[in-house]
Amino acid sequence: MKHQQYKTWILLDTELDLEQHRELQVHLKQCSQCQSLYQATHQIAHLFKTSPVPEPSPGFSTRWMTRIEKVENRKSRLILGITLSVISIATLLLLSSVGLQIRAGMAYFPQLMLEMITLVAEWIIFLNQLRDIVSPLIRVGMKFISPVWLYTLGFSLSVITGAWIISLSKSRTLQRELHS
Amino acid sequence: MCNTEQQWIAEAKTGDKDAFAKLVEKYQKPVYSICYRMLGTPTGAEDAAQEAFIRAYQALDRYDISRSFATWVLSIASNYSIDQLRKKKVTILSMDNEKHAWLAPPDPGPSPEKAALEKEKLGQIQSLLTDLNEVDRAAVILQYWHDYSYEEIADTLDLSSSAVKSRLFRARRLMAEKWQKMQLSSVPPVNSTAKRIAHETSTI
Repeated sequence: MKHQQYKTWILLDTELDLEQHRELQVHLKQCSQCQSLYQATHQIAHLFKTSPVPEPSPGFSTRWMTRIEKVENRKSRLILGITLSVISIATLLLLSSVGLQIRAGMAYFPQLMLEMITLVAEWIIFLNQLRDIVSPLIRVGMKFISPVWLYTLGFSLSVITGAWIISLSKSRTLQRELHS
Repeated sequence: MCNTEQQWIAEAKTGDKDAFAKLVEKYQKPVYSICYRMLGTPTGAEDAAQEAFIRAYQALDRYDISRSFATWVLSIASNYSIDQLRKKKVTILSMDNEKHAWLAPPDPGPSPEKAALEKEKLGQIQSLLTDLNEVDRAAVILQYWHDYSYEEIADTLDLSSSAVKSRLFRARRLMAEKWQKMQLSSVPPVNSTAKRIAHETSTI
């Protein structure tokens, strides 16, 4: 058998049968390289097996309990933090979206205000002018027209309006009847 | 796995930390031991072992009850230690007394000679392990100190059995080479320990 095979047996710590073991022992007597390797692996195994077993200092499980509680608290805080962050970001996005709309509206605000003021001013001017024209006429007319005539005119206008409303409702009723 | 242990696991799965603490109490030594062998310092080992149990507790829903809890938790511990080594490139060889406080058992303390010998042995071990890559180191630790078979190592480290054989073959070759160099070394303490161990093994 080749030297490499014995080396593999030694390094793989192969379980050998009696015949193989005897064969290896014969080879070890002839080959110093394999002998040295064999001794080294056995000495290392012995060193490992006889070394002291490291042990944790007392209270390991108590320290674990403290640690897991810290970890869980940290996890809870992290979840809370993430939730708050998500809510904050959502609020921020909402506010910035609304803010952008307000901003867009604000861009036209002076123009809108100017138009409204102009419109109101024009209405004021129109009403003033109308008052200026109508009020002297009323004042003059009131002097020549007797109150009886005014009451008669008011009554006539009321009657005409009433008759118009009645005729309008009657014509609508007729139309409905025709359609039905 | 005993019934009590299964009960603890079932209770822990419902969020009972006290039940899991009992599992921590039971498996603290092998978990700490593998972390210590991997990382080389008591501080690193304590932190890694604690973290391994925390990860196990958090992943308990994914734990397959048909699998050995010891194998599962050792798998978490060894993989976490491998990650730590890769991240931090922890220096294994450090022999100051403060870091290796566990070497002095509380009561009764070892004789100064025994303590010195154990310290020296530890130095030898860490020196041998330092040269191995993280996964090879884990495989060696599981085989020598936890008596794991190739299949169990493969299961723990998520490797195939042939990959484990190959890694152990390479690791033993590297360690043997280093050991031979250490024997030839002229540094007195290393040489003397190596010779002492050589003598011890020759007399077995």
